[in-house]
Amino acid sequence: MIKNKKQCLKKTTLSLALAGTLFTGAAQAQLAGHNVILVHGFMMDDLSNPPANFGEVQQAGAANWQDYWLNRSEARIDWASDGRVEGKIAQQAYQQLRQISQQGLCNNYCILVTHSTGDLVTRHILENQARWLQADGLQPLKILAVMDLAGAGGGTELADLAVSVAYNDSWYNWPVKAAVKAFTGIDPQPDKLGVVNDLQTNVARNLAVNPNAIPRLRFVGGGSSYGGITKPFIDGTDDGVVPTHSACGATSAQGIDSCSNNLSLAGKVSGQNGPSGLYYNHYPILMSEGANHGDAINNQTGNTAVPVVNNTVLGGLQVDFASRSYNKRAWWQLWGSGDRYLEVPNSSQTSLSNLLYTTLNN
Amino acid sequence: MPYKALLAVAAMVAGVSGTIWLLSAENNGQFSALMPDNEPKPLPATRTRNTPLSPGGDSSRNATHGPSDNALGFMLASVADQYQQTIRYPDYSVPLSAAQADAYQGNRYHPVDLPLDGDGQFTVSLDKFRFTRGETIVVVAALSGRQTFGNRLSAALETASDQKPAASTVLKAAESAGYYEGTLSSDHEPGEYRLLVEAQVDGRPVRHASSLTIEPYLGDFEGLGTPYISGNDLVIPVEFSPESSGYYALSAQLYNGQQPLAQLQAETSMGGSSGTFELRAHGSVIANHTISGALQLRHLQIRQLPARPGDRTHYAFGPDEGYEFSPPDLDKLRDEPAVNPESEQRAALLQQLADKF
Repeated sequence: MIKNKKQCLKKTTLSLALAGTLFTGAAQAQLAGHNVILVHGFMMDDLSNPPANFGEVQQAGAANWQDYWLNRSEARIDWASDGRVEGKIAQQAYQQLRQISQQGLCNNYCILVTHSTGDLVTRHILENQARWLQADGLQPLKILAVMDLAGAGGGTELADLAVSVAYNDSWYNWPVKAAVKAFTGIDPQPDKLGVVNDLQTNVARNLAVNPNAIPRLRFVGGGSSYGGITKPFIDGTDDGVVPTHSACGATSAQGIDSCSNNLSLAGKVSGQNGPSGLYYNHYPILMSEGANHGDAINNQTGNTAVPVVNNTVLGGLQVDFASRSYNKRAWWQLWGSGDRYLEVPNSSQTSLSNLLYTTLNN
Repeated sequence: MPYKALLAVAAMVAGVSGTIWLLSAENNGQFSALMPDNEPKPLPATRTRNTPLSPGGDSSRNATHGPSDNALGFMLASVADQYQQTIRYPDYSVPLSAAQADAYQGNRYHPVDLPLDGDGQFTVSLDKFRFTRGETIVVVAALSGRQTFGNRLSAALETASDQKPAASTVLKAAESAGYYEGTLSSDHEPGEYRLLVEAQVDGRPVRHASSLTIEPYLGDFEGLGTPYISGNDLVIPVEFSPESSGYYALSAQLYNGQQPLAQLQAETSMGGSSGTFELRAHGSVIANHTISGALQLRHLQIRQLPARPGDRTHYAFGPDEGYEFSPPDLDKLRDEPAVNPESEQRAALLQQLADKF
């Protein structure tokens, strides 16, 4: 969700030609033979320095995905974070949906890859796109699946706090203010919160939540962002920005520690405070305790990924995990076989995004 | 004296044994007697590839070769498998777990916490997130912690878009210590509002801000028509008189007593002063249940969908008690998969993708 535009732009200067175009047209811009369309997350700089025009929005969108996905996608849906999902964001997104439809990019079913707030924006799009496009004489997009990386569709408690901090004087307890400032990049003002309003847990969970037929595949991190100052204010485990209840697609905003009731974010096979239920057609796929909010879409390696295995029977066959599980003793345990862990073998040697991309394109 | 020595030795042995046990990795930190029955079982250590498929097994892929060792591949195959199960149900009639029934009721409000210095907490609760214009907004606030709190709180509503004050009230201390309660009117222009609750904490003001919406009057629910069977659907007509023309979606939950059966959805364009939504409960969500007595439609929610991108969705809600009706003879309904070409194609593509592993 958070991507500091200035930092991104410092890393490299993107050419206007690259940033201004929606479509890369690269042959590798597919996942398993299906066009990839990207929907980015919250851009904090849009609050302090709102984009002057749509070109700037696209430029930031390209920079956001530059680390990994930019050249692996066929199109992007870019939007400015100083707007609201049911307002300017929907308008900006729709202009790009029209182009995607006109170019037929989803005629053979496309895959949406979202990051963070892109999850929520996509939900609103999916609820309305068919009707809007048909009214304009265009074909609705056929979407195979949505890959939600650190999805914020259930909101975040940091947004709840941001709204309150906007109404409190400067003496108000500084750890909360520091966490909110890290999250938003600003000292919040009531009229300058943009999409942060939509990320309040109650607002997010009352926006376009009806079930639909498109599967949402969830990828969940548990690492630290901003030096850990945000973690104390998010219920349950989190990736520094988004709570696990949101990233997993849990049906309640109650804090949880894992997407599974029998597997921790680190892969430990043990009883967990997991979700009481998941939204319809939401499927947690991978968790990674070490991956923070940004790691879901960058090239960060060193984080072990854990398959969210709730059922080891597939198609009537019992699956053996011996080849991808290991036992580990805690430092204070002197002997014994230790706890059982699951992992995706060698996943720490690659980034979460690359693991996903290379596996699907294998 | 020998007894004392024996006791001392026994105590020492017990102490050493206990320490060894504590330091052992086999110590799971729980007494087995306290372990719940549903404690997760260790994952299986043996593969049973090439064992015959169970009668319910539906993957021909696995008849020839088992799931791969690729863990992510396994997850994708698992999703393909699960998705294949969900497309048995048409979009307009999906089954509900208890947790999903809660979540899809719509219009839920999760209490919002604001931390105070130390471990104090300032929490505000509403009974819902969306209020139809004219409804009373009941505000409950709770304060906890070591701080000193004033004995009354104030609450105010202001528009979210331009912070114009709309209403204010005083929250008075409730019977339970630390709780405060009051009401606000929602008779204001529809839109999103901020609810500001202010407390005195150690003599200084702290404001708790959260959001709610005031919805326009969309029309009246006029009750149910006569339910009937059509094909493999139980059709439940819901009459609605809209205030204005537009494109509307109705969702509702079908119950048999306390058991949630399905989330039903229907969309239609309404132009005149009255219209009918035809909610359809597919045989796949009914025929596999033992239905006794009347059925109920609960948590009815109408949305006036945005005609253009940028428009707001407007919401209205059915009667709190819902509707009860006697269904026609349900014996004709069959627990068979629905026909949904797009979802079937999606499932086939997901399966193709999973077949690689």
